[in-house]
Amino acid sequence: MNSAYIASIVNSTLRSTTPILLAALGSAVCSRVGVFNIALEAQMLIACFFSIAVNYTTGSVLLSVAAGIFSGALVGLIVAVLQVKYRAADMVIGTSLNLLVQGGTTFLLYLFFGLRGVLNDPKLVSLNKINLPVIRDIPFLGRALENLTILDYLCYVIAVLLFVYLFKTVSGFRTLSVGINKSAAESLGTKATRIQMRMVVLSGALCGLGGTALSMGQVTMFTENMTSGRGFIAMAAASLGMSHPLLTVLSSLFFGLCQGIGVALQNVIKSQLTMTLPYIATIVALVIFSRRGGGARAKKRTGGL
Amino acid sequence: MKPSKAKELAGQIWRALRQPLAAAVFGLLVGAVVILACGQNPVTVYIEMFNKSFFTPYYLFSTLTRATPIIICAMATGMAWRAGYINIGVEGQMVTGTFAATVAALYIPGPPIFVGLVSWIAGMAAGALYALLPAVLNWKFQVSMVITTLMLNYVANNIASYFVTYPLKDTSGDGLALQTAEIAEGLRLTRLSSTSTFNAGFLIAAAVVLLMIFITKKTVFGYESKMGGFNSSFARYGGTKQVKVMMITMALSGAIASLAGTAEVFGLKFRYADGMLSSTNYAWTGLMAALIADLDPAGMFFVSIFLSGLQIGGSAIQRSLGIPLEIATIIQCCITLFVSVKLVFRFTRGKARREEAKGGAQA
Repeated sequence: MNSAYIASIVNSTLRSTTPILLAALGSAVCSRVGVFNIALEAQMLIACFFSIAVNYTTGSVLLSVAAGIFSGALVGLIVAVLQVKYRAADMVIGTSLNLLVQGGTTFLLYLFFGLRGVLNDPKLVSLNKINLPVIRDIPFLGRALENLTILDYLCYVIAVLLFVYLFKTVSGFRTLSVGINKSAAESLGTKATRIQMRMVVLSGALCGLGGTALSMGQVTMFTENMTSGRGFIAMAAASLGMSHPLLTVLSSLFFGLCQGIGVALQNVIKSQLTMTLPYIATIVALVIFSRRGGGARAKKRTGGL
Repeated sequence: MKPSKAKELAGQIWRALRQPLAAAVFGLLVGAVVILACGQNPVTVYIEMFNKSFFTPYYLFSTLTRATPIIICAMATGMAWRAGYINIGVEGQMVTGTFAATVAALYIPGPPIFVGLVSWIAGMAAGALYALLPAVLNWKFQVSMVITTLMLNYVANNIASYFVTYPLKDTSGDGLALQTAEIAEGLRLTRLSSTSTFNAGFLIAAAVVLLMIFITKKTVFGYESKMGGFNSSFARYGGTKQVKVMMITMALSGAIASLAGTAEVFGLKFRYADGMLSSTNYAWTGLMAALIADLDPAGMFFVSIFLSGLQIGGSAIQRSLGIPLEIATIIQCCITLFVSVKLVFRFTRGKARREEAKGGAQA
């Protein structure tokens, strides 16, 4: 293993981490206010679709990203209304929304563009690839950070901002109090349900950005069901990171690494086998960290299961 | 007294059917809007769709054939969920079990009856073990079963895909398709219709439904597992060994799941092809059916048939009218969402009424 090889693994790790981290932060804010949101997959996939659809129609990167965030937040709003306001069962809302978006995006792809399964066109504009001026020339680092997009950097900034908001501001403390004891928070005049709904919509927006990073990051295209379980990996990452924004960065990087290694090894080991790596790693990681961080707490957060 | 009793019964049936019917109407209304968006007339499309799913013998047989794995998946889901174990890994358990059964059918020598028996049992054992894995991890390490069962779906699909792409790929023919060789003629399930692929797999599905009704209504285990799902502290207080109930429930769920795919291979496809059980969304459709029917075995049976009818009709209109078959998925998800919302309204209304009653008592 030479250093160039390792640098390329680091590079693909960073790229794979971005969508997972953004969605995992979305999952974390929901867990923090006691909402079990499993529609992450739907929130991501719809953003993949609308970012590419707007991209194809307008050719504007900015509008595409906005469309991704907005559509993700919209699905988040549906979850917020049905699950938080009207207290529908989380599994029912989550699974039906995930399937609805999976079928719906394929349907819309046909309705809008007459295409089946894939939208890939040379007309699509990708996010700017950034090659930092000085770092570009440093041997290892230059390769490791080669061709990353703005979102690949931004996701870490968002994680830090979320940490500061949740743990260093009054409003953040109020938000956390809702997750710790909703009725106690309400008795002190906190509008608990409204805060929960706001956080679910925020989770939608974060997943939306994550979905955009997926469809406009390494490749710029939409394919049917392109999230392929990343929303659920994100859930695992958040639960591994104990729903703490900074720990979630670490756990997401771990899942990114599993995918990155899979990409790097695909010539040595058959891709079907390396593809199982992140999923097995999720389970192994959850087992290893289950004792630490209190199994009971994690259990409570995932609906007692 | 008799007429009032009949009236009461009619009222009961009406109350039980009211909600799924309303949900179905709502789902079809949303579907109508989507069809309008495609520039077609919803009435003609729906007539075409239902003609080509329920009201023509050939298509009715196709619907029942497709319903077979969906019914069984719904039962596998219901088995676990009613006990409070959110098993969303039915797909992985089905893939593992089916793959094991197919491999056994291909490589074990002997008379067909023996090989057939061994294959089905091997499939059920593999499915059960694959479902026990998350149960054991939950018991020993408190790892969320929702996440593990789901992750194991991807693992099973990819590993089965690896085997049919490389070591077990059928090299006869053009060798392009990613699939195993065909199983022997003697192992295949009997066709029940001379003109279509409708086969004895459907009878297996029906038997699973009856078994499920028997287990849930007539056995101690069925009661204990339901109590565990209903109120785990109460169940523990009543002397239920929860770990044992969890293990048996999950093993049964996985074993049933395996039957879904095994029936598909032995009755319809005669080989395991890459993605045959995942791209068809059998497990997820079964899950939807289970949710719509509120985990009632007989209800799940009929809802599964209805949903597979939607899918068969959906692919018919895709061929004849060019409307994507995903219309079926959209209708089906809207039905589920509406069912859940109805439940919510009932819940909040009930609560309001209770609070009112409480207020009245105080005054």
